[in-house]
Amino acid sequence: MSLSLSRQKIRQEWRLYFFVLPSLALVLTFAYYPAASAVYHSFFEWSGGYTKQLIGFDNFTRAFHDQVLWDAFKTVSVLIVFNLFKMIPSILLAVLIHRLRSDQWQYAYRVLLVVPMIVPGLVTLFIWKFFFDPNLGVLNHVLDFTGLKAALVGLDHFFNWGVFFDNVPIGWLAQPELILPSLFIWGFPWIGAVGVLIYLAGLQSIGQEVYEAAELDGIGPIGKFFYIELPLILSQVRLSLTLLIIATFQGYGLQLLLLGDSGGPGGRGMTPGLWMYNRAFIAGEFGYACAIGMVLFVFILVLTVINNRYVRVEK
Amino acid sequence: MSAALSDAVGSRRRKDWPKHLIIWSFLCIELLPLYMMAQVSFKNNAEFIQNPWLPANPLHWHWENWAFAAKLILPYVANTVFVAVTGTVAMLAVAVLGAYFFARYKMPGSGLLWSAFMVLMLLPGIANIVPLFSLLKEMSLLNTLYAIIIVSVAGGQAFNLFVLRSFIEDIPKDLFEAAEMDGASHLQRIFHVVLPMSSSILGTLSILAFLGMWNDFLLPLIILRDKELFTLGVGLIYLDGEYVKQWGQIMASYFFAAIPLIVLFLFTMRLFVRGLSQGAIKG
Repeated sequence: MSLSLSRQKIRQEWRLYFFVLPSLALVLTFAYYPAASAVYHSFFEWSGGYTKQLIGFDNFTRAFHDQVLWDAFKTVSVLIVFNLFKMIPSILLAVLIHRLRSDQWQYAYRVLLVVPMIVPGLVTLFIWKFFFDPNLGVLNHVLDFTGLKAALVGLDHFFNWGVFFDNVPIGWLAQPELILPSLFIWGFPWIGAVGVLIYLAGLQSIGQEVYEAAELDGIGPIGKFFYIELPLILSQVRLSLTLLIIATFQGYGLQLLLLGDSGGPGGRGMTPGLWMYNRAFIAGEFGYACAIGMVLFVFILVLTVINNRYVRVEK
Repeated sequence: MSAALSDAVGSRRRKDWPKHLIIWSFLCIELLPLYMMAQVSFKNNAEFIQNPWLPANPLHWHWENWAFAAKLILPYVANTVFVAVTGTVAMLAVAVLGAYFFARYKMPGSGLLWSAFMVLMLLPGIANIVPLFSLLKEMSLLNTLYAIIIVSVAGGQAFNLFVLRSFIEDIPKDLFEAAEMDGASHLQRIFHVVLPMSSSILGTLSILAFLGMWNDFLLPLIILRDKELFTLGVGLIYLDGEYVKQWGQIMASYFFAAIPLIVLFLFTMRLFVRGLSQGAIKG
């Protein structure tokens, strides 16, 4: 803990305030000022220039009736569910690595996990976009080769989706119905190296004797996961859950790169963040974009509050 | 060793290989993008369509893909290195000073200031992006690399302060008192006590900051207009927008974008793996 100081000492040490000044100045200018400005401008019709017109709550009324925005909220809720599911492989992998007997292998796997991080995130995205390519893409090759394509076509006949056909390459990012599935498949098998390392660090605190005791009680591998391992990494899991939900909620980089600034065919990949970006930088409606930002902010704030109240993260 | 015990150990051994198998299959799919990037970068489109999976014969490698990519992407790499290195150094320098203020003494108002920083971790950055754009325009920082650096430095403050403060608080008090006795100023105390004592966490934070700036494309996308100033993020987006795609050239460009990270990881892999494992327990 920091020391409490006497009055005299404070007077003597006033120069210390200079130490926090750079951080503070930066944050005030580039975080607080824009935030205040966003609140202010959400009441204006403003196209980014010097002229603006006060229109009261019109931007918010418009947002409230904006079908695109509500659809975007639906899409982003689906994406959040996807991402929750995508957390599972990382947890499983961490547990698998942790259960290995050999320490050398454990270390080797940790290093191997980090290797894919040398590919910049943006490049990974583009490579996935390339995987999705209907004619050249790896994904369609794999589906053809393993016969899964035939299975998909069969299912299509059965359920009448009208999406998969024989002899027609699957247009993952071109068909409205396939946009959400593509956003789900993206990044398979969804291992986050940083996440796995953090879970592993949490698992490290389990002593061997805990396992031996569990074995004596006749608890199987699945039981061990739920009784021993999961509780120990629960605080890390919750933390990454929170961060993930917030990041998904405001994210739009993925959609922007894979699908373009209008959310792809049929706008099926439109998220609130992307719609805000679109309104501001494509349509030039900065005031309305600020209002969308406010709506988003309120949603995230509510999520954070709920999260802090009901999902406690113990230190 | 009794027969029963060796049996038990033996059965464990046998039981481990399915785990290895599963882990390896995960890893292989995870490494697939890297593999595809490497092997496609040596092919032209025709060869790639004919043989998408296996690497081409090394005698027929198309090095001209790499030459093309180098010419195209190296200026972007240089810009990005400049942004990421300057940004990382500035971000941590500013954050260390601030963290020292919070960690060492309880000055009047420091509680309030601390919450002002911590609230930022909850604020969604996205609502800010439109006013940030017009602010940078007014400061005539649009279309400069400095804008990216300064915004990233500001954006990284809350998180870095949060981590660094707890590390500085854990440095033994005696060290600071000894330094004070010797008449060291606060700056000298930071240089001779704080920096050496928190070097491992500073390393991990630098890598995270560097990676963050290296991978960023949303900020550069709205800030940069001139082709000469493009960072990798924007440069690669424009490359993706071309109509006729020479996949070999594109993959070679992607590879160039990864080379500095490969170098970085070669030297810091251990530090990174260790730092993340420790930092996680602390945070």
